[in-house]
Amino acid sequence: MAQIFPRWTNHLPTIAAAVSLFVIMAAVGFFWYYGSPKYTDVGYRPIQPVPFSHKLHAGDLGMDCRYCHSKVEKSIHANVPPTQTCMNCHKLILPESEKLLPVRESYATGRPIEWTRVHMLPDYAYFDHSAHLRAGVGCVSCHGRIDRMDVVQQAEPLSMSWCLDCHRQPQKHLRPVNQITNMDWQPLAEQISFAEKQIKELNINPPVDCSGCHR
Amino acid sequence: MEDKDKFDRHGYWRSLNELADQPEFKENLGREFPETVLEGLAGLSRRSFLGLMGASLALAGLAGCRKPVEKIIPYVTPPEEIIPGVANYYATTMPMGTEAYGVIVECHEGRPTKIEGNPRHPATRGAANAWILASILGLYDPDRSPKILHKGLEKNWNDFVAYWRELDKKYSATGGEGLAILTEPFSSPSLFNALQMFRRRFPKTLVKSWNPVNYNTSISGLENIAQHNLKAIYNFDKAKVILSLDADFLAAEPDSLAAAADFVKGRKVDSPLDSMNRLYVVESNYSLTGAMADHRLRLSPDHLSGFIRALAGELIRRGININLEPASQAPSAFAFDETWIKVLAEDLSTHKGEGLIRVGGTHSPELGLAVYHLNRALGNIGKTVTYYEARDTFDDNLAPEDFLAKGTGDAITTLILLGVNPVYASTGTNDLSSALAKIENTIHFGEYFNETAEHCTWHIPAAHYLESWGDVRAADGIAGVIQPMIAPLYDGRSAVELWNLLATANDETGYEIVRRTWAGILPESEFENRWRQILHDGLLDNSASKPMEINFAGVDKIIINDSPATTSGKLNLVVVPDTSVFDGRFANSSWLQELPDPITKLAWDNAALVSIATAKNLNLQNGDMVRIDDSDTAVPIWIQPGISENTVVMNLGYGRTRAGRIGTGVGFNAYKLRHKKEISLEKTGGRHHFANTQEHGAMEGRAIFREADLEKYRRDPKFAEKMVEHPPLKSIFKEHSYDQGYQWGMTIDLNSCIGCGACTIACQSENNIPVVGKEQVINGREMHWIRNDRYFVGESDDPRVVIMPMACQHCENAPCESVCPVSATTHDKEGLNVMTYNRCIGTRYCSNNCPYKVRRFNFFNYTKDMPETIKMAQNPDVTVRFRGVMEKCTFCVQRINRGKQAAKKENRTVRDGEIQTACQQACPTKAITFGNILDPDSNVARIKKSDRNYALLAELNVKPRNTYLAKIRTPHPNLENMIDSEKKDKG
Repeated sequence: MAQIFPRWTNHLPTIAAAVSLFVIMAAVGFFWYYGSPKYTDVGYRPIQPVPFSHKLHAGDLGMDCRYCHSKVEKSIHANVPPTQTCMNCHKLILPESEKLLPVRESYATGRPIEWTRVHMLPDYAYFDHSAHLRAGVGCVSCHGRIDRMDVVQQAEPLSMSWCLDCHRQPQKHLRPVNQITNMDWQPLAEQISFAEKQIKELNINPPVDCSGCHR
Repeated sequence: MEDKDKFDRHGYWRSLNELADQPEFKENLGREFPETVLEGLAGLSRRSFLGLMGASLALAGLAGCRKPVEKIIPYVTPPEEIIPGVANYYATTMPMGTEAYGVIVECHEGRPTKIEGNPRHPATRGAANAWILASILGLYDPDRSPKILHKGLEKNWNDFVAYWRELDKKYSATGGEGLAILTEPFSSPSLFNALQMFRRRFPKTLVKSWNPVNYNTSISGLENIAQHNLKAIYNFDKAKVILSLDADFLAAEPDSLAAAADFVKGRKVDSPLDSMNRLYVVESNYSLTGAMADHRLRLSPDHLSGFIRALAGELIRRGININLEPASQAPSAFAFDETWIKVLAEDLSTHKGEGLIRVGGTHSPELGLAVYHLNRALGNIGKTVTYYEARDTFDDNLAPEDFLAKGTGDAITTLILLGVNPVYASTGTNDLSSALAKIENTIHFGEYFNETAEHCTWHIPAAHYLESWGDVRAADGIAGVIQPMIAPLYDGRSAVELWNLLATANDETGYEIVRRTWAGILPESEFENRWRQILHDGLLDNSASKPMEINFAGVDKIIINDSPATTSGKLNLVVVPDTSVFDGRFANSSWLQELPDPITKLAWDNAALVSIATAKNLNLQNGDMVRIDDSDTAVPIWIQPGISENTVVMNLGYGRTRAGRIGTGVGFNAYKLRHKKEISLEKTGGRHHFANTQEHGAMEGRAIFREADLEKYRRDPKFAEKMVEHPPLKSIFKEHSYDQGYQWGMTIDLNSCIGCGACTIACQSENNIPVVGKEQVINGREMHWIRNDRYFVGESDDPRVVIMPMACQHCENAPCESVCPVSATTHDKEGLNVMTYNRCIGTRYCSNNCPYKVRRFNFFNYTKDMPETIKMAQNPDVTVRFRGVMEKCTFCVQRINRGKQAAKKENRTVRDGEIQTACQQACPTKAITFGNILDPDSNVARIKKSDRNYALLAELNVKPRNTYLAKIRTPHPNLENMIDSEKKDKG
């Protein structure tokens, strides 16, 4: 009796297994890479209602972050400044600027400017700005070189594993508390011993339990 | 009815399927999706169904890829004291009739989210009850009336002002003839001022107050003699022997928070040497006070005056001179135990000046006077019972039926109803709506467009107390302010604004009016400073009244008549205010509706409660519908052990026909039966389904609740721990040492807990716990993180009741953790059994493996259809949970984290008592203690060393962080010893 299937079909199961293995791994790899916050979130750069430039204000003009984000050391939120804060200066500086029209309008009408949130943590994660600043974690550690961004974009993945990397080993990321807003600060030569000292002095004890952030 | 249909079709409030009473809706209530969607799917073939599902899955997948856009909306001009993300706390006062509770309100960005008691205020002392805690939900209730209506047309405030000015002109010419006001009673300097002004301008106007549950009835006999409005203050902490005559002073009666705190102070047992007060309770219903009693006598209400006279006779026999006619018959004629009354009389007479007798506030003035004389003869007046003049108080109670009858003689042409709801709460079959229709102008002022508003020509929405300016006198006459936390959400007006308009025809803001009143109270030179201090504190220090002596010269000997014995074959009817909805004013609060009654454990309902024997006689079963006499409505039977024989008890506040989405149609209206003293029941054959959270409150042989009498405790202080013997325990897992940092733990003192349920509501408010509705409660899916387990002890006809708060025990060897396949529930370094919602996949293994049954599962997305305003009541520091997620008590981890951060910022450790859980903070008797058990000086560590300390189910080696202190009772040695008698039963 003639063979119904040619000989090469004997390899079909092996080939199928190899192909499906490849497909599965490719799929896993695809989602691993393209589904991770590193890919999906880093670089998120929404258009804001006012073309406010951090590069100009924080970088070129050298304003301290806390002039506008004034409650950041007291609250869990780094508050987005109220319109009045803008107008403190812009009543006198560029009072006619076209770009500042929404700000002046907001100030005149009392309607707030609706900014788009860039650094978006899930609602079940409770991040506390004030706690991190107290410990000596600089703004730049999570937000990147804001002073070089014309339009703010997300610089770090802000994923849980990224948070935990630092919580487990805070030594590399701590700086003197008076340097928290300094974008140019470079780790010290004796960084680890300095950090150990600060951890002791300030009773820094970054939680790695679920209850540290989730409640 | 129309409202119901509407909301059900929209699936608008689906998760709160409080409307379950309608059989046609019942079927849908358990469904996850609105009926319309399911109907649509039912018509599809299998193929098109799969196609549809595939398409929607694909769409859902795509939609999930898009990053959600969130907006940040900052202030334009920031308010000075608000830091976004940091809560502000302000003092204010919650008025409730002539009572008032000082509170502290937590506000997030100007949005009140949580209410606590004000520690400075004598009526709350930092604690709160369920009504206070749930009032935050009342503020955001979307069913509150949003607009002024005149004959169904929308008007604005200025229209009403103009309208009133015309009436004002008309009536001021005649001295107010034809004008009548029925208001809820109040105790407020500003309102009282307005009332005085009003009376000067309209002397002929009939002004009365009305409270459907009037706790000032029994004191009114004394008020007539003293010629003053009186307020009784009971110092339970100074009393050694307490007798409650149908007075539920721990839960329902005025000033119950202070009473509970003081009462428990007299029962604190730290060592076997301590002594305790002894509580005797005589009552027909089973109240929380009855549950705390050392001796409880169930007595039908027709025997109460006989009991008082018998007690008087017994005391006279002991040589005590009482200005009261004693009973001529022997106590046996009243069907109660002679030894009981002898022991009681002996106990009271040997504790002269240290005894306290309190009669229920709703009892007759004669009984009130009789009890006053008992207290006086026993030397208790001025020691455990003091009377104060109730200043700035208007409490001239007249039932609306009588009010209208009185008014028709004067031909009322304009009737103003302030905060009262007579169409719902009037007694008997009188149809007040037709009486209202005959009056030319009827003006209704209230928070809701309710049963009465429907029949009035004008309706003015009242502002919630958290939206208004006002002032009050509370407790012993201490003056306090009500200040708004938020601008009126629904354009309501405060009572002071309306009263001021009525009295002066001036339209002024509440702030102006209240400030003006206080300018008269405070010295002018320091007004501004003192005023600011008062706004900060919530009250004016040292403004309490002085105790008052009552002059009895010229008053004859008091004679109280025995109430006529019940006709044979008839039953006594007792109506009591409800522990949840009170007189019906809280009927639209879903939190309170779902809070089970502490004794009956009924949620979302009331019932005709009867004793076991009575039910047997009448062949009744739980859920049987009965008709009472010839009334139109049938009510369901609930058999309640411990109620006096031949008595039917009904709770008020249910059966609202126009309360709102939550309260309409829940339960049965007991007001309509209230005038009847004796009734007969007739089975209709219908059945009713109850949502009862604890039908089987059995101990199942385990020593879960541990108690002893004082004698036994003195003999064997460590009795509680010894009640369960187990071999040395060894864990199969490697145990953690938990010997560093903070180790959180809790104790619950069962001797202090009165079972009021404030903890449950406090927790609900703090932790965004959803309401599930009656049908889901029937399915056992209520979400309360802390519940109160009620157990009966002893013979079934007349059992004792014990109540045990039960929340997550935070076991160190937690059985729930070892079975979670995804590590959603784990232990943290500080000993907390934590729940990570975003990890939970909803296997419910943990719940199955929890020996305490304290885990709660979100069977549905209960918050999906939550109205926008209710969302404002949510605590921003706590995650709102989604369908399919397990949750449970967290020891208020958000508060722990907040406390730890605050301490770290100041570079110190957390101070003991700095972090309070929500339940602990609300507890009126401070039964709950929380803190760091590693710190030997902490309160909780100290309490855990107590003899009475025991861990529940310790034999399982789960090592709970939450431990209990056993309950101690102190029965009189000559009366049957309850604990021992129990053993006899068992043996």
